[in-house]
Amino acid sequence: MSRESTIAPPDYPRVLVPPAALAVHLAIGQVYAFSVFNLPLTKLIGLNHSAPGDWNIKEVGWTFSIAIAILGLSAALFGRWVERAGPRKAMFVSALCFGGGFIVAALGVHYHALLLIYFGYGVLGGCGLGIGYISPVSTLIKWFPDRPGLATGLAIMGFGGGALIAAPLSVKLMEHFRTPTSNGVLETFVTLGVIYFMYMMIGVYNARVPAPGWKPAGWTPPVNTAALVTRAQVGVDRAWHTPQFWLLWVVLCMNVTAGIGVLGQASPMIQEIFAGRVNAQAAAAFVSLLSLFNMIGRFAWASTSDHIGRRNTYMIFFALGILLYFSVPSLARSGSLPLFVAAFVIILSMYGGGFATIPAYLRDVFGTMHVGAIHGRLLTAWAVAGVVGPNLITYIREYQLKSGVPKAQVYSLTMYIMCAFLLVGLICNICMRPVNSKYHHTGAESAT
Amino acid sequence: MKTKAVLLWLAVGLPLLWGVYKTLQNAMALF
Repeated sequence: MSRESTIAPPDYPRVLVPPAALAVHLAIGQVYAFSVFNLPLTKLIGLNHSAPGDWNIKEVGWTFSIAIAILGLSAALFGRWVERAGPRKAMFVSALCFGGGFIVAALGVHYHALLLIYFGYGVLGGCGLGIGYISPVSTLIKWFPDRPGLATGLAIMGFGGGALIAAPLSVKLMEHFRTPTSNGVLETFVTLGVIYFMYMMIGVYNARVPAPGWKPAGWTPPVNTAALVTRAQVGVDRAWHTPQFWLLWVVLCMNVTAGIGVLGQASPMIQEIFAGRVNAQAAAAFVSLLSLFNMIGRFAWASTSDHIGRRNTYMIFFALGILLYFSVPSLARSGSLPLFVAAFVIILSMYGGGFATIPAYLRDVFGTMHVGAIHGRLLTAWAVAGVVGPNLITYIREYQLKSGVPKAQVYSLTMYIMCAFLLVGLICNICMRPVNSKYHHTGAESAT
Repeated sequence: MKTKAVLLWLAVGLPLLWGVYKTLQNAMALF
């Protein structure tokens, strides 16, 4: 399990490494589909309806929020350990936490104890999410120094793709296990816990780190790189103190806030803007389409960033994002559903692209030495955005409705506020400069 | 090693393709 025992022999084909990372991300990406359990969890006693003593949707909804918050915190807290322990041990711990989290949550269903679900799926599972999310990042970057965006984009695409698999799988399992006395949630949790643990073992058994100094055959590091791409190394504890870290923190936070707010409210938003034309089923289809483009964008944008540069990629996210958000109210007024949908699928592709491009951006700015740990700390921006984005949209919507604004127009102000967020991100991205050499790692210091 | 690579990519590719197919199936309801 140790890092040393996972060092690959010189002729090890690097093509085996991305599937190992994908297996972990496809499993933990299930978190995006947790909402399929929300309604069934509110009917554990009544089965077909919520009975007295059943939990309400708001109480159940906290499970997802806790899991995402713990994801950000655990990625920040355990990033250094993940770098030291290596990908295999980190993936194993992640599988134990994530699979075990489902089993503890199943106990919570059995005893009808919501705190046990919060602890199982939210806290324990959340630790599995955080450790699993960052565990393959630095390994992939070291295996693919020639295409870091493509490699990390492929893995992080798995996190988006995990929800596409988990949603229909969970629904099928609940149907399969449903009996006159159970709605199948408990059995589904246990089954998913076992399936995901075993699936993540594909990652555990196949994770390898390249030998120190290894590089792809025939590849030589480019001599004249872009100004932002460093050949120096910055340790995690120093990176934390650089303005570049905080500029990138804001860049990620703004990009995520703009996307996650829409993702959380997509279904009611399209139904209210196109009232009478889009029903609940079509709105669910819209959400599915957004999830699909969230996944596609992760791979497409991150691999594009290898060619056009990380800063330029984020320039496109922010500039195009501002343009699209600004045009949404007009598209809504014009009643053009296809253009409205097209605008949002591009926005969501850039939301996913932001997640997938950031590890390679960090590698460009801080080097590869502690990129996994630095990425872990940067993910606190995700935790903040996860709270701010959805709540802000909900708050503005309620405020507008109370002020007498028609339902179809309540989202216009939100779109302009999202433009402002993206503008802040754009300015921070423009301000990015190479890290001052006083923060660079010297040979005399320990690399761990 | 080649067989192992094919099997590994199938192990991650097939579930992902199934997920994409189910999502596209749902998305058709929009149009």
